[in-house]
Amino acid sequence: MCPSMRVTPVRQATRLLLPVFAAGLFFAGVSPARAASQRVEKQFNVTSHPVVVIHNVASGRIEVKSWKNAHQVDIVGTQSSNKIAFDIEQAGDRVDVNANILDASAQPLELEANLQLTVPEETELQLKTETGLIYVEQVNGDMKLESYGGDVHLKEVSGYVIVKTTGGSLVCTQCAGKLDFSSISGNAQLLQPQLNNVNVMTTTGNILFDGAFIRTGLYSMRSGKGLVEVRFSSNDSFDLQAQTSTGFVDNRAADFLKPDNHKVRTYASKVIHGFVGTVGAGLAKVELSSYSGTIRIMRRD
Amino acid sequence: MQCEDIELFLEQEGLEPLPEAARNHLAECAGCRNYVADLTSIVDVANKLPTEIAPPERVWVSLRAQLEAEGIIRTPAPVSGSAEPASWWYSVQAFFSNRGFAAATVGIVIVAGAVFEIARDRAPRDTAGSPEIARQITPAPAVTSSSTQQVKPVAPPRSQPPTTFTAPAEFASTAQALDDQEPLATGLIASSNSTIDASLRDNLKKVNEFIADCERHLKEQPQDELTREYLSAAYQQKAELLSAMIERGRSIN
Repeated sequence: MCPSMRVTPVRQATRLLLPVFAAGLFFAGVSPARAASQRVEKQFNVTSHPVVVIHNVASGRIEVKSWKNAHQVDIVGTQSSNKIAFDIEQAGDRVDVNANILDASAQPLELEANLQLTVPEETELQLKTETGLIYVEQVNGDMKLESYGGDVHLKEVSGYVIVKTTGGSLVCTQCAGKLDFSSISGNAQLLQPQLNNVNVMTTTGNILFDGAFIRTGLYSMRSGKGLVEVRFSSNDSFDLQAQTSTGFVDNRAADFLKPDNHKVRTYASKVIHGFVGTVGAGLAKVELSSYSGTIRIMRRD
Repeated sequence: MQCEDIELFLEQEGLEPLPEAARNHLAECAGCRNYVADLTSIVDVANKLPTEIAPPERVWVSLRAQLEAEGIIRTPAPVSGSAEPASWWYSVQAFFSNRGFAAATVGIVIVAGAVFEIARDRAPRDTAGSPEIARQITPAPAVTSSSTQQVKPVAPPRSQPPTTFTAPAEFASTAQALDDQEPLATGLIASSNSTIDASLRDNLKKVNEFIADCERHLKEQPQDELTREYLSAAYQQKAELLSAMIERGRSIN
């Protein structure tokens, strides 16, 4: 070793530049024409409760699953062409993923970008996509999921969940916590829920609630033109109010729904059709309404 | 020649050709050999990188719109105006060409809707025969039961021909503002054949049909509060949908 040898800033910069150039070469692709279907994988170390933000302007699926590793977020992106680019970066415990369209003249088949994430169980999500399914499984944390046309499927998630779609539907299986869903033509299915606060609103879609009402829970389900169907258990305890302007209330559980025993609710207007009833001690509060659709109430067991 | 001399020489002269003294130093100094090897690798890799591709124009347009929306830059006023003043339509287009203005306008519409709702909730709700309800049905100047209190005239009927049904008085300005925004929003994605834009158009149609249905029903049953709630929610959904269409239209254009 030369005695006068030392690590100068220039040498340091050179050593830093080498991997940067190599990475640039890897991601840019040696030849653009060669990059037909591409795959990007990145891992990010986080301390706890990371926030993952995804904005996918291309079409494609976003899938989020959890693992026991509480300190790492793994992201795998696949794209159908080099007319899309993933922009992935980390800022503290927040990981931002953007799928951007580079060529506006690209054909729809060239604009498919799928993302597969593996995150700690305690993760906050903010996902926004235009089309394509959003699938989230076994994640605990607040999440805001937005889609124009894509469906949203949630399985065993918990937290404060906000879902907004234009035409996409929601299927929520074994979800817990609080749920807000709004859509124009999307449907909502809440299956075996453990939700204690539900606010579902769709203009023309249908709503299905199949599960238990948690005591002291608040449930509001409204559809402008669609069917609102509730399947409850005889062990449940809730007050129910169903009302419609021009629709129909199909009460298939009249034997279990006693007239409201609180004696405080009366309809403000005679033009609204519906009824108020109680199951059990009336601990939860359930409000169902539809402007012109059908409200169906039935027992599961 | 020392290490500093090698560094200085490479900075000024580049990698080749190295003088005799430098080659002799490299033969003895592993650190400098690594340094030269790193530089050589960087140059090789850089030579293999594809030619820089200019981003599409829409990136600059989008960037500019974003910066303008955040107030970081401002669009300079035209240096020399044309001899003839632009038509009112071009003024409107220019106003809404900025995403920030467009988003703000739609936001204002939402707020306006909310304000109307709050105002309505605070107003006394009487039977169908009350002056309050009558004022809602008939968009004309009215006087409250207390003759000393003059009520402001309700917004006049729309200047444009109504679509199918007229919105209830408390929603008139909201409906008008949304109707004004609709051509802009639909126009921005009119040329797009993508599935998502077709879906947005389809959903707008559904909301409009639902709004018309609620308006018609409220005309027949003005005391139907449930329908009024649905109509209010539908206006809000329409506002959000138009905002989404405008945002998407800007991005694809």
